[in-house]
Amino acid sequence: MSAPTLDRRETAAVPDEAALQAHFDATIAADRRVEPRDWMPEAYRAGLVRQIAQHAHSEIIGMQPEGDWLLAAPSLRRKAVLLAKVQDEAGHGMYLYSAAETLGADRADLTDKLIEGRQKYSSIFNYPTLTYADCGVIGWLVDGAAICNQVPLCRSSYGPYARAMIRVCKEESFHQRQGYELLMTMMRGTDAQRAMVQDAVDRWWWPSLMMFGPPDDDSPNSAQSMAWGVKRHSNDELRQRYVDMSVPQAAALGVTLPDPELALDPETGRYRFGRIDWAEFKQVISGNGPCNAERVSRRRAARDDNAWVLEAATAYADKHAS
Amino acid sequence: MSTVVTDPRDVAETVTDPELPMLTLADLGVLREVRTADDGTVVVTITPTYSGCPAMGVMRADLVHALHRAGFADVDVRTVLSPPWSTDWISEDGRRKLAEGGIAPPGHAPVRTAGPVPLSLGPTRRTASCPLCGSADTEELSEFSGTACKALRRCRTCREPFEHVKEI
Amino acid sequence: MHEETVYDALDTAHGGEGQWAFGTGFDDPLAGVDTTVPDGVEPADLGAYCLMLGDDALVLCQRLTEWATRAPELEEEVAIANCGLDLLGQARLLLARAGSAGVLGRSRRHATDSIPDEDALAYFRDPDEFVHHHLVEADGGDFAQTMVRLLVASTFRLALFAQLRESRDPVLSAIAAKGVPELTYHRDHAARWVLRLGDGTSESHRRAQAGVEAVWPLLADLFTATEVETRLTAAGVAVDPAGVREEVRGVLTTVLERATLTVPAWPAERPSPGRAGEHTGELAPLLATLQGLAREHPAATW
Repeated sequence: MSAPTLDRRETAAVPDEAALQAHFDATIAADRRVEPRDWMPEAYRAGLVRQIAQHAHSEIIGMQPEGDWLLAAPSLRRKAVLLAKVQDEAGHGMYLYSAAETLGADRADLTDKLIEGRQKYSSIFNYPTLTYADCGVIGWLVDGAAICNQVPLCRSSYGPYARAMIRVCKEESFHQRQGYELLMTMMRGTDAQRAMVQDAVDRWWWPSLMMFGPPDDDSPNSAQSMAWGVKRHSNDELRQRYVDMSVPQAAALGVTLPDPELALDPETGRYRFGRIDWAEFKQVISGNGPCNAERVSRRRAARDDNAWVLEAATAYADKHAS
Repeated sequence: MSTVVTDPRDVAETVTDPELPMLTLADLGVLREVRTADDGTVVVTITPTYSGCPAMGVMRADLVHALHRAGFADVDVRTVLSPPWSTDWISEDGRRKLAEGGIAPPGHAPVRTAGPVPLSLGPTRRTASCPLCGSADTEELSEFSGTACKALRRCRTCREPFEHVKEI
Repeated sequence: MHEETVYDALDTAHGGEGQWAFGTGFDDPLAGVDTTVPDGVEPADLGAYCLMLGDDALVLCQRLTEWATRAPELEEEVAIANCGLDLLGQARLLLARAGSAGVLGRSRRHATDSIPDEDALAYFRDPDEFVHHHLVEADGGDFAQTMVRLLVASTFRLALFAQLRESRDPVLSAIAAKGVPELTYHRDHAARWVLRLGDGTSESHRRAQAGVEAVWPLLADLFTATEVETRLTAAGVAVDPAGVREEVRGVLTTVLERATLTVPAWPAERPSPGRAGEHTGELAPLLATLQGLAREHPAATW
């Protein structure tokens, strides 16, 4: 590598760790962005790789629940919308893995970690898609929750991740809109379609609340992530924002959110909601959700059954390298 | 209805692309024509970027909505397929906005002639400068990305991954 | 991007206006396009021809989509989805064109009026009304066979579409002009994989050759014009498939030879059973998956 910036820094008097740390701290304090070639503490780098990889894995695993309906979508327009969405998700995955690679990670290695269960992905994708309404609810609630989580990350202190998030959020907003539009269309349709939508909302509402992670008093990595500007709002804060946003959307749609305790607090103007079943969350996160095994095994099969394809591509490239 | 003084074209030109909201449909070259018919109906013509574009309905709804809001009661949005869209339809403004949004704009689309289409077996050599640092030293990571007209690239100088709207 | 703006945009659901407002039900892919059938052309012929080209695309899209979430690498995941989406778009335009010419087969016996023509045709025709070639309905096999089939199918389709740009039907000509750049990168993408697999490792070579052997016999059906094609070719609307045989053969031979693969003998040509609605046992399950949900709810709008 012969990038001028790197040379300049390497040939200058090598500053000691303390000076580098001070420069890094000043960058964070001034809300400026850290870029790939900047010095950064190892823990910051490792934490970011974990966060970005987990996000990339979620995009890739997240293709499956909806992907299962690609062959059976009930109209050609819905099939086109779904195919474009699944394609976008693969595109986001590639982009995010590339962002992780700016930190020295390797995509193949990250994929192995996913398949071996050493890195996680969003717990929401371990639930099954039982009817076509689930595709709409995934767009509305799951993508909606993802956007709430991701919008603040557009200000992440790590430049490539922040810029990736800006792009991803724009596309996710479009997906959310299309999901909501499917539900709206179904709610205007037959009784059977309306029942399908309500049933899907009943199944996905609570898991979508879990997407914001454990409550603040039980979130081990949060404090450091907030201090580093890698994370911008606490889990509970984002969850509340999501609930406040979703309640009027549910009303406009004409569905009931499955929480008898859901009520507007006249003091704060925010919605109080019932207790989340964190035991279920822990079960799903630790690999015992309804679809964990299936999701990961499909990735493993895609890697292992087609390994010969990539070997051929490598062999061909080697033969024809001039 | 109160007198409308706005030109419907000005209104239609503010509508943005659903997936690339930094671009208007006009920047993208998807908005082909805006005219007022004899009966006062505003007739808007749009063209899909590719055959499978699933966003035509959304674009149509956004155009109708924007024109209604501006006071045009009767709006008819029509599809036109010919001449087919290519990246050459993206305006200079559009190219600038793409670059500002971190997406490398396309070069010139290949010229298509009548008759058989020649086979191309080698890797397609494309170039694109990094939208972040401007370096020309970039490599293609994937020929396709979220949509057919975008490739994923990486800058070898600043390491930034970025998308490139390919010449199609 | 300002955080608040994005959240605001997400929060405009109430009132049913704003960015959530659609209410259009469905969008006809040919909305506003002049679909008058040109003088001297039998609408039933034009519709039947559009179904042939549309079904080829729809069924191949279904087969390609089976790879979604199962492809060898992410790059291929997006490439296959891209090709599938292009074909789906072509199918939608062509089925809508068939519907606009009044060709709907028996689909309207089951499909209610709320269902647009393209969906009536895709979801409510019976297997014997589908008129695609066997080439696209055959089970795709492994990745090598999938790429060989994509190479053959897109080479044939591209050769047809390149000529169809001159069709006297302006709609068909516009669909073809739109499709040519798409099919060009489908063909080139598949061809590059056939090169890498044929000239890669011994295993990939073996698989690629097996893929070629499996796909080659299906070439037999592609080049004999049906009566509809013959009449429409005379009317300047369609392309005689016999006229693209040498181009297709030339492209396939070039790719296979460069890939160090053996080019099998050209199969004995025959009229296409698929174009006559006669299919293999593989079509019924494919259609059951495609059509099942839509048929369960014939009065629904999606």
